[in-house]
Amino acid sequence: MKKKVLSLLLSTAMVASLAACGSAADTGSTDTGSTDTQSSDTSAQSGDAAATETADAAAEDYELTDLYITVDGTLTANVDNGQDAFVEQWEAAVSEKLGHDIKLHINQPEHSGYKDNVAQLLTTGQPGDGQYPDALIMSATMYKQYQTTGILWNMADAYDNAEFQSRITLPSINENMKTANGELYAFAPTYGNGCVTYVKQSWLDAAGLKIEDIKTFDDYYNMLKAFTKDGQTGVIAAGFGKLDEAPYINYMPEFWQGAYPAIYQKDGQWVDGFQEQATIDALNRLAQGYADGVIDKDTEEATTKVAREKWFSNDQTTSEGVFTYWAGTWLRTLTDNLDKNDVDSDLGDDRLVQLPPIQEIKDTWGGYLNREAPVWVITDDGDGNDAREQAIFDALIETMLDGDKVQTLWTYGAEDVHWSTHAESFTTNPDDPEKKKDYEYAEGEFHLKQSPNDPNAVWKKNHLDPVLVIAPLTNGFVDSDPLVTEGNKFFTENCVDAPQSPSSETLTEVEADLATDKTTYLNNVVAGKMTAEDAIADYQSKWGDTINTILEELNSAE
Amino acid sequence: MAKRVEFAAGRKKKTDAFDIVNYIVFILIGLIVLVPIWKVVVDSFNAVGVYKFQLFPNEPTLDGYRTIIHTSKLYQPFVNSVVTTILGTLLGLVMSTLGGYVLSQYDMPGRNALAYFLLFTMIFSGGMIPEYLVMKQLGLVNKMWILVVKHGMNVYNLVLMRNFFEGIPGSLFEAAKIDGCSPMGIFFRIVLPLSKAALASIGLMFAVTVWNDYSTVQIYITNRDQVNFQYILRVMVMDGDTPTTAYKVSQSTLYYSAIVCAILPFMLLYPFLQKYFVKGVNVGAVKE
Amino acid sequence: MFLPVLIYVLIVYYWPMLGVRYAFYDYTLKKIEFVGLKHFTKMFSDADFWKAFINTLELSIIKLLITTGTAVIVSVFINEMANLFAKKILQTVIYLPHFMSWTVTAAIFTLFLSTSSTGFVNETLKNWGWIKESIDFMHETALWRPVYYLVNIWKETGWGTVIFLATLSGINPELYEAADIDGATRLQKIWYVTVPELLNTIIIVLILNLAKVLNLFESVFVMYNNRVFEVSDVISTYIYRKTFMTAIPNYGYSTAVGLFKSIVGCALVLICNRASKKVRGHGII
Repeated sequence: MKKKVLSLLLSTAMVASLAACGSAADTGSTDTGSTDTQSSDTSAQSGDAAATETADAAAEDYELTDLYITVDGTLTANVDNGQDAFVEQWEAAVSEKLGHDIKLHINQPEHSGYKDNVAQLLTTGQPGDGQYPDALIMSATMYKQYQTTGILWNMADAYDNAEFQSRITLPSINENMKTANGELYAFAPTYGNGCVTYVKQSWLDAAGLKIEDIKTFDDYYNMLKAFTKDGQTGVIAAGFGKLDEAPYINYMPEFWQGAYPAIYQKDGQWVDGFQEQATIDALNRLAQGYADGVIDKDTEEATTKVAREKWFSNDQTTSEGVFTYWAGTWLRTLTDNLDKNDVDSDLGDDRLVQLPPIQEIKDTWGGYLNREAPVWVITDDGDGNDAREQAIFDALIETMLDGDKVQTLWTYGAEDVHWSTHAESFTTNPDDPEKKKDYEYAEGEFHLKQSPNDPNAVWKKNHLDPVLVIAPLTNGFVDSDPLVTEGNKFFTENCVDAPQSPSSETLTEVEADLATDKTTYLNNVVAGKMTAEDAIADYQSKWGDTINTILEELNSAE
Repeated sequence: MAKRVEFAAGRKKKTDAFDIVNYIVFILIGLIVLVPIWKVVVDSFNAVGVYKFQLFPNEPTLDGYRTIIHTSKLYQPFVNSVVTTILGTLLGLVMSTLGGYVLSQYDMPGRNALAYFLLFTMIFSGGMIPEYLVMKQLGLVNKMWILVVKHGMNVYNLVLMRNFFEGIPGSLFEAAKIDGCSPMGIFFRIVLPLSKAALASIGLMFAVTVWNDYSTVQIYITNRDQVNFQYILRVMVMDGDTPTTAYKVSQSTLYYSAIVCAILPFMLLYPFLQKYFVKGVNVGAVKE
Repeated sequence: MFLPVLIYVLIVYYWPMLGVRYAFYDYTLKKIEFVGLKHFTKMFSDADFWKAFINTLELSIIKLLITTGTAVIVSVFINEMANLFAKKILQTVIYLPHFMSWTVTAAIFTLFLSTSSTGFVNETLKNWGWIKESIDFMHETALWRPVYYLVNIWKETGWGTVIFLATLSGINPELYEAADIDGATRLQKIWYVTVPELLNTIIIVLILNLAKVLNLFESVFVMYNNRVFEVSDVISTYIYRKTFMTAIPNYGYSTAVGLFKSIVGCALVLICNRASKKVRGHGII
């Protein structure tokens, strides 16, 4: 008896499970908007077919009720920092604008693994599965990789007809991103920003140096040497070069100088900068710096977070004097972190000085590199109908630069959580007489509040940098931090635009491996295990053919 | 065992050079194992990081633990670990006792087919990617419940459980049957109460597996609020990605405190439950 | 009663098996397309894949031999200890690391071996004047494997003794008594009585673990870094990187590598099963 029952159950279950898989594979789901799990192998094809049927019906009055976005760490209003309030106020404001309720779902993976997580989401998901992003943030490099894959929506029309067009002060940013055929697959709400070299004033003083005298690479190198003693080193960065993210050389510009270790456009032709003499020279300079100990040994393994934390750590005996990092707001953030760790408290806001580009940089690039802007992209469900995508654009991007309520949310965060216009007074570091600081604001005065997760720090900004944004706020909310202003001014005076990233299918396919290999060569040369010439020769023999294919693809497309 | 004890005692008479060497070896081995653990514990209470091995902290502080308790990015994973471990262990026990019991019924027709059905999974698996895609379809990606589901079933433990059930004298079942007990009744009234020790051993094995699992989280979970404590420990110590906290605590204190938290539950249970820990392995050869 | 187990096994184990078909497909963004053996050709011509395959074998086999060896030696010492209390204590202590996760173990040793000013090993060695410059144990190609093996010894030796001690406690005391009568010394008794008795168990342990040599993942994953890929990349980490650390991954390719691993693993299990039947009369599964 038992046998029969069991074998029956077994076979039924087996058949049922196989049938279930089979049927899913045959028919797929007919409702692309549902959150039903469907066999992912067929959804891509069947999704198309099913969606075309429903497309006509949905066409004009597509009502977007749920918006799924995936964001990186630049949305600083994260779950620990008042994201709930941000979402709530966004939903209220946007629902009002659209005339129907909309819910915002934010997926914010870890910043360091963002690229990989996005790849995972996009490969294994499909629109409407409850995780697949309707829109997401991408770095310029990422965006170039996905541009040709067909999963991004061409938003050229939406962008051209956007309500915010009239307020754009920096139209070139997005115009430049359009392809030769006028397609636009991404939207940059701000310009890119870049890195400048910060030097600790106290270290300069101790070495008897003046920032004005640091004019050439030799001056710079001697400064690093003067800083290197008793466990202290000259400079740290997140990698000797960050070869997987444009503009690659921005963390150690003095060593890289005119080199560009990637494919870029030179005099109208795409070339591989990694094979150029300039790169070999740069590698040799880095190797020298590593051998002399002026480059912190942790540089190779450090992530940006590790590097900066070591740099402003409370233990300055193993720290470094120089750090090249993001301009503007970061001048304030770095200063505040040094302050938090009781480093050079007597110098106040003068702890850090910004080093103007050295002569070698001026002679080649002309200044610090202003990277390609990070962008927002909208995913295309491939149904040949733009209703869903246009609705996403209207709900997200159109409102993001409304100059008013929603833009303020993206710029400063949630009202009365991150900022306020109500009369208020608060004190940071109330228990520490030296660092104690009082803030007082009158009714109606716009100001930033204490950070939700750290009452001793004042909130800075949310996703959009008010200084970098392409269409400024019109409500007059300005947070005028002199240090941030100074930092931004310094950068805009000393920067040039970074080269454009290439977009090629072959490159996309090999990009990760290529970056890993190049990083290995770079690290080996710097650690003195290989000469720069050998490394490049090795690289050429391994990658030469592939690179040539890529260059052909790029140059013929032009 | 008794014979062995008597035998060892019998040899105790003469203490030769070997015994002295052996004591030294014992102490050395003990130190090799204990010094790292002791240093971790001491340094977790030490306000400043020191490289030296110290018997006791020279600047005692609880800041490391305080930071973990008060920083949601640190305590949330700990809570997740506790929850998933408890649920995973319960599910694992239910599955392996049910399965093990059925497989132990010699007279049950189809038993062999079932056994092969289970054993096949031990020699062949779909692999990392197909598994990932299935979990994705089940909606378990980015959910900490993946830990419960992935470890809720372990064929090896199920076999151990079966071996144990097979060791229960059949006469007990006969007697119960004569008393009119249903198979279910036998299971609940006779088998389970007799299996407390085995349940404890296998339960511990499940608990250790779920609590210690890191790779599942690494592969399946990207949201910080869903990760377990092992993951956060790895991210902190190896990737140097310390969550921002309002507390001022030295990095090494925080790291070592986190390590202690990651081993704490088992450190506390271990002395009392050691025999159960070891038993599992003796029931069925070796397991990694 | 068995139904929940059945359903569970079907979903968690058997359903993914259907997914191995992707090994013959291109599975990328919005595209699933039959490509036949393309991925296998690509895999077998990829130097990185072979490196990972060889590394897997080398790492796990050497690790297996070393940890088994140390476990045997430690077991013999424990067996020879007449003081039951000391014995009990040591057993309790050396089992401990086994219950620590790989993350914890790697975290402890990463901190101890770090080059920072609080790095236990480097600073101690410097203090003793043995070295001048800190050694970057975790990032040196030449040192990574020795460190990996040592950490494995620390973590698994104690647990490895469990089975050997069980065997030793089963040795007929008469054998030792006979040796005593022959006037054998302690060392002779160990060599001529204890070790031969252990041989069978050693072989079984090796066979059992040989079946699992390809499963190496977590212990490597938590300890390796891109600087030592050359000596540390194993198949599972290779699959992981190809899938989860690539901008536009091809799940088909990773599935193909996974399938290869499963098939070789399956063959190993069957071979070991055969061997086990020969050695001890019954299989391992």
